[in-house]
Amino acid sequence: MSDTKYDRLLEQYRGGALSRRGFLGAIAASAAAVGLAGGPIGALAAAKSIRFDGWGGSVSDALRKHAFEPYTRKTGIKVVDGTFSGVDEFYTRVRTSAPGTFNVFHSSGVFDYARYLDANLDVKLDESRIPNLKNVLQPLIEPFRKLSGGSLSAVPYDYGTTGLAYNTKIISKDEIEEKGVQILVDPKYKGKLGGIDDWRTQCWYGALISGQDPNDVKDLDVMWNALRKHRSMLRKYWASGAELMSLLSTNEIVATQGWSGRIATLQSKGFPIGYYEPKGTFAWQEDMFVLRGSPMAESEELLNFMLAPEVAIAVSEAQGYPPSLDPTKVKLPAKVSSLPAFDPTGTLDGRTFADPRYWNGVQKAWSKMFERIKSGY
Amino acid sequence: MPGNNVRWNMIRFSTVLVYLFLFLPIVAVILLSFNPRQFGGFPIEGVSLRWYAELFHNGTIRRAAHTSLVLGAQTAVIASVLGVLASMALMRFRFRGRNFIGSMLIMPILVPEVVLGVALLLFLRWLSMPRSYPLLLMGHVLITLPFVILVVQARLAGMRTDYEEAARSLGANSIQAFFSITLPLMLPAVLAGMVFAFTISFDDITATLFWKSAGTETIPTEIFAMLRNSISPQINALGTLMIVLTVSLPLLAGVIARGFARGKTQKRVV
Amino acid sequence: MARHRFKPWLMLSPTLVAYLFLLTIPVAFVAVYSFWLGSATRLATRQWTLQNWSSLLADPFYWAILGQTARIALLATLGCVILGYPVAYFLARSRIRNKSFLVLLLLLPFWISYIIRTLSWINILGTDGLVNSLLGGMGLLHAPLQLLYNEVAVIMGLMQYLLPFMILNIYVVLDGLDRNIEASAASLGAPPFRVFLEVTLPLSAPGLAAGALLCFVLGSGTYVTPMILGGPGNAMFAQLIYNTIIVQLDWPMGAAMSMLLLALLTGLVLVYNRFVGLGQVYKSLAV
Repeated sequence: MSDTKYDRLLEQYRGGALSRRGFLGAIAASAAAVGLAGGPIGALAAAKSIRFDGWGGSVSDALRKHAFEPYTRKTGIKVVDGTFSGVDEFYTRVRTSAPGTFNVFHSSGVFDYARYLDANLDVKLDESRIPNLKNVLQPLIEPFRKLSGGSLSAVPYDYGTTGLAYNTKIISKDEIEEKGVQILVDPKYKGKLGGIDDWRTQCWYGALISGQDPNDVKDLDVMWNALRKHRSMLRKYWASGAELMSLLSTNEIVATQGWSGRIATLQSKGFPIGYYEPKGTFAWQEDMFVLRGSPMAESEELLNFMLAPEVAIAVSEAQGYPPSLDPTKVKLPAKVSSLPAFDPTGTLDGRTFADPRYWNGVQKAWSKMFERIKSGY
Repeated sequence: MPGNNVRWNMIRFSTVLVYLFLFLPIVAVILLSFNPRQFGGFPIEGVSLRWYAELFHNGTIRRAAHTSLVLGAQTAVIASVLGVLASMALMRFRFRGRNFIGSMLIMPILVPEVVLGVALLLFLRWLSMPRSYPLLLMGHVLITLPFVILVVQARLAGMRTDYEEAARSLGANSIQAFFSITLPLMLPAVLAGMVFAFTISFDDITATLFWKSAGTETIPTEIFAMLRNSISPQINALGTLMIVLTVSLPLLAGVIARGFARGKTQKRVV
Repeated sequence: MARHRFKPWLMLSPTLVAYLFLLTIPVAFVAVYSFWLGSATRLATRQWTLQNWSSLLADPFYWAILGQTARIALLATLGCVILGYPVAYFLARSRIRNKSFLVLLLLLPFWISYIIRTLSWINILGTDGLVNSLLGGMGLLHAPLQLLYNEVAVIMGLMQYLLPFMILNIYVVLDGLDRNIEASAASLGAPPFRVFLEVTLPLSAPGLAAGALLCFVLGSGTYVTPMILGGPGNAMFAQLIYNTIIVQLDWPMGAAMSMLLLALLTGLVLVYNRFVGLGQVYKSLAV
């Protein structure tokens, strides 16, 4: 019960407006409420712990088993893990919380890195405390270093691509190779196409369909029209891995953009889904980002644990995305090397990654436009 | 009315249809929880307890279920107390600003949860207060209060004040009149409000996503997290278990109540 | 007399305090935000401008989505009235045992989590779903019906969520009605249908109104249902707000959109309160 409320009640009691029974009753009710609510003690318990946020599900299970529990056994520090359902939702939550509330999280893509930097939420990692970093693919580290002026605020963790997923029973391998991205606007499959509900991927593909460079789109109108055409053929915009897999496996749609990891899962379960990477396929990486206000030594230690080969491989198998480890330095099992999007050379040549500054710059305008196109305008 | 055949049968028939409509997806959930195929649709391919086994070993879901249940119960109690007080104030007194307050109390429903979620967070940030469980609880009370008020108010509006006035004229003070006359008369509405509050709190996702603190997960937020990688039929198993629980609880309550009633009459006879 | 003036306010005080700190002040923050501009690095630049409001109100896109939202919510509400009233009437008037069990059964769907229920519609309406496999199994189809991802699916999903609200609201009022009124009307020679039309229905109006209001408001603010069950053309306003704030990170614009939705729905509630107020007066006069 707040002090003001108590004072008010006391005043009323004294003023005769409230019988003694009523006054005591009100106090009792408030006490009961606080008691029921468990009191504010919980919030004060700031024990030695570190907070991790990820995508949940099997990935978090893998991390918990292979990284967090050994970490706690060795250091005595507890890892509290939470989940988020989207990069933007998480960004919102971080921005509206006090620094130090969130520590380490499974960040998506270089654009995410860039915007946390711009919001002054980054740190400078002491790389001497993360020896396992030496096993990580250089091409993945470089973009981060460039943005942070030489230092790092995150370690790359896994990578993947968003290519085209298609039903092999309806669309042959030849057909998809011949048509490439144009299959998304092919009138032959009107009403049976799917699309990802993510403006970045869609705009990327809009650029590809209209024959432009996704990192430097010259003619926006052509790109928008390509997306409008795609929408007119669309059965459904899907927003989660679960929806994607459900739509493809039940044959509601025959072709869509898709995440390499989800497609791998479907294939391993025997569904007739093929995965094709057209020229200029959207390639991306995920990293473990440390936020400003986090306990540094503990976070660096945790990152080192997560980069240990057994952990990275276990998580990789759980997600379906190749780990950020250099295959020329670390032996990776067949289960990992057979994943789609896996690059055995360790150079990631031929992959087109998004230019973070460009894409962050257009976020406001393009995401707004895509929202309108999505709704039919 | 129940004597009147054709019309009553039509009403009975439409009731059956509506219940079927409400429960069709639930039947699907129960049936599919036994389907061993992961991306299963119909027809079902055999009976398997596979998902129940996985669910049983899923500690996170169990913790989330516990949180949801406790949170829902606490929300229901607090919201009902506050809601009954507020409804009585609105419906049994005439005071200035009554209509205005009446409309204002419904406000939380009108504000989209996304906005409520973010709004409260902004305010907390300004106060430099961290998120916590009591806050989540109060947030849930805020979301459910209007429903309690709406239901109780509608009931009070239809109730005649005669009985209360009679009690008063016989010398009862307002609190006695309330507990012995008004409360029993509006009990169905109060109970309905409590159950509403519980279920809304249990089911809430958007605002909870914003307000929950580290390590706190409710069932909806947990399911949402599970969706990212796969629709696990564990969800269907969870749903079925909830159904079994919620069906058996009132049945149990009914049996116990009947047992007590029998006990009472026996005592009187002896 | 002094006692009487304090009492209602005292009873209202805990609720009002909660509302002040959890609703009014935070929403005031949101209102203030709607007059600022979005920023890339902070949540908003603190310069006062009417730009959000002018672009919101002048843009036919937003009004079109608002109109679509209102239409879907209205259709769902009407559906709930038509389907819900007979059920409420049955529950209130029937003399079967275990009636309270039936009422409790109405709330059962809520405890299974909204997301599960919405997703399970896919298991019923999808190409792999119950309807298609039943009809297909009977040989009535040459291709599976595409029942999902359109407005009807959204309305059905909404109705399943909203029906219990409607039924309970009507039931609670019908149950509390004085049967003598109906009995006396009947004894005066009115046929049952007339008794219903001229006595029962008007008396149950507060419940109907409360239920309709609730259904419409909840329906207007929903975004999970259209997201899961709707197709590209079924966007609803709450989805827009969510995207504007969370994906586009344009908080001020999202704030303006929220305030607009809030204003429209508040107007509706004021009308409702007037109506219920009138009903009150009529009742006290009749008694």
